[in-house]
Amino acid sequence: MVRFAAALRRHGLPVTPEHVTDGVRALEQLDLADRDEVRTGLRAVFAGRPEDFATFDRVFDAFWRAATEADRVAEALAPPALPEHAPPGLERAGRETLALDAWQEGGDEDGGDEPVGVPAASELEAVAARDFSTFSPDQLDELYRLTLKIARRLARRISRRRRPSARRGRIDLRRTLRANLTRGELIDLRYRRRKRKKVRLVLLCDVSGSMDLYSRFLLQFLFALQSAFSRVETFTFSVRLTRVTDYLRARSYREVLRRLTAVKDWSGGTKIGESLAEFNRGWPALVDRRTIVIVLSDGWDTGDPDLLASELLRIKRRAGRVIWLNPLLGNPSYEPLTRGMAAALPLVDRFAAAHNLAALRDLAGSLAL
Amino acid sequence: MREEIRKIQQLMEAADYVTDAPVATSVHLATRLRKPLLIEGHAGVGKTEIAKVMARMLGTNLIRLQCYEGLDAAAMLYEWNYQKQILHIKLHETSGRTASEEEREIFSEPFLLRRPLLQAITQLDQPPVLLVDEVDRSDEEAESFMLEVFSDWQVTIPEIGTIKATHPPHVVLTSNRTRELSDALRRRCLYLWIDYPDFDKEVRIVQLKVPQINQTLAREVTRFMESLRRMRLAKVPGVAETLDWAHALAALHADHLDEALVGETIGAVLKDADDIKRFRAEVAKSGLGPLLATP
Repeated sequence: MVRFAAALRRHGLPVTPEHVTDGVRALEQLDLADRDEVRTGLRAVFAGRPEDFATFDRVFDAFWRAATEADRVAEALAPPALPEHAPPGLERAGRETLALDAWQEGGDEDGGDEPVGVPAASELEAVAARDFSTFSPDQLDELYRLTLKIARRLARRISRRRRPSARRGRIDLRRTLRANLTRGELIDLRYRRRKRKKVRLVLLCDVSGSMDLYSRFLLQFLFALQSAFSRVETFTFSVRLTRVTDYLRARSYREVLRRLTAVKDWSGGTKIGESLAEFNRGWPALVDRRTIVIVLSDGWDTGDPDLLASELLRIKRRAGRVIWLNPLLGNPSYEPLTRGMAAALPLVDRFAAAHNLAALRDLAGSLAL
Repeated sequence: MREEIRKIQQLMEAADYVTDAPVATSVHLATRLRKPLLIEGHAGVGKTEIAKVMARMLGTNLIRLQCYEGLDAAAMLYEWNYQKQILHIKLHETSGRTASEEEREIFSEPFLLRRPLLQAITQLDQPPVLLVDEVDRSDEEAESFMLEVFSDWQVTIPEIGTIKATHPPHVVLTSNRTRELSDALRRRCLYLWIDYPDFDKEVRIVQLKVPQINQTLAREVTRFMESLRRMRLAKVPGVAETLDWAHALAALHADHLDEALVGETIGAVLKDADDIKRFRAEVAKSGLGPLLATP
């Protein structure tokens, strides 16, 4: 069981020693002659997400084969081979955790601790500084996984940052009562500190042409950040607007990204203003003071820039913050001269890049109101 | 197959719940290993039902904690009945009691409002089933609080003392996956994923729960629902909607689906204005045929 757990861990499942004990206890309750029953039972113990089921099944099948096939078992247990030209920072699974922590300190707006001197951290920095479009397709999987990991940690940090407000709020009955036990009247009032409410995110992602790749990473990133926000609503647009929020929920990330391709529209270029108008018309209630609206687009627009400006203004008036992400900003010589971009620029609160992991990390800093 | 698991399957079916091996196995392990069971799946596939059936199977009470955004410790565990306490103070104003006497009086059992978690650990006869429904609607803070209670199985009320669980309950948590639950919670629980049923299973469910409906209609309805779920809808209908619709059709004494009937009763299935619009457009374009066809 210990070896089985180790195998699962090598393939990316979060397995703890407690799982091992539970696994043994579970075996006591199952019919060991019934392979499917053992599989279902152990899966309930070890796999905490439907996305992990496939991996679990693979490892299970490889591991519990007859003893005579020892060699084949050993081969099947080897971790998935990474492409030869994988960037060095992606390979060291062991030190990755430390490296991640150190690297994230560097992005903390509050100014975290001094980065720990772990060699892998600088390699990670190199990976994070590379534009997403420079990776080969087989490296992208690994990069997605890394993005997820980073986002989950950031989510925890964002949640922790919310501290109770010092202003007076509702009356705290319990403490007021205690303070007035000797009197008949409630004179001495104690106040309850108001709980800071969570922020809502609305994403409008351009998925036309080359924007598709950046949208995928941003979506991946924000999907994992979900727990830090009360609600994350996602829309994609090129010529038309499509709401994809529900796709991001109950499916695996792979399927989400696959569906995004189905939504893409190759013909006609991007009509940003028209898409924003459709958003304002169809979902007016989504944007309020507690909402941060993020638009991801390179600003190449075949629509009407005046329409873009007026619709964006409507959003800005209602939203808590408007952020425009443009991957072209990753290029130091870029200037926002296209009509679309020029029209939008004065209306946004923050204009930033989203072309690599470092940019995403920095973005997380703006996601608090 | 283990005899206990087979028996569980039989008991669940006897309680009108159409089940399969994974569900029965998870329920068996959860009750034997005394671990919480986390059930995830789309809306309306029968997650909450499992907890109810478990309670019936074990012959014990079901205590339900319904989660929502902003759920806090007071709503989960206990709260003092402030109004009653204030009234009590007022009524005894002139009785000449001391402050400490008064305090002892109003911070006692009759003034304590027990919320689900506290109820769950103070059952007298046997361990109840504690259903934490839609835990994804609360937040991580609520989750960590729950985890604390689930590990210690005791609660400290400052004015009264520490209350230890009489019988640690069987815990079932459900989630619609509108939010990623914390890793800590996942690690602590056994996991069960409930997907939409396949055709045969769903027909069985309809026939079991709506016995007055005829075979053909049951199959038509199921085929129709399957097709609907493949459309790009904002609110994908679950098995609960299938059953609602079946009930409605049976009440109308229908025996087969046609455009008029479907148009009138679609509100039992689609609950979103945009979805209904899209559906009607689809039917206007190609009729009911494609929706009733075998894929």
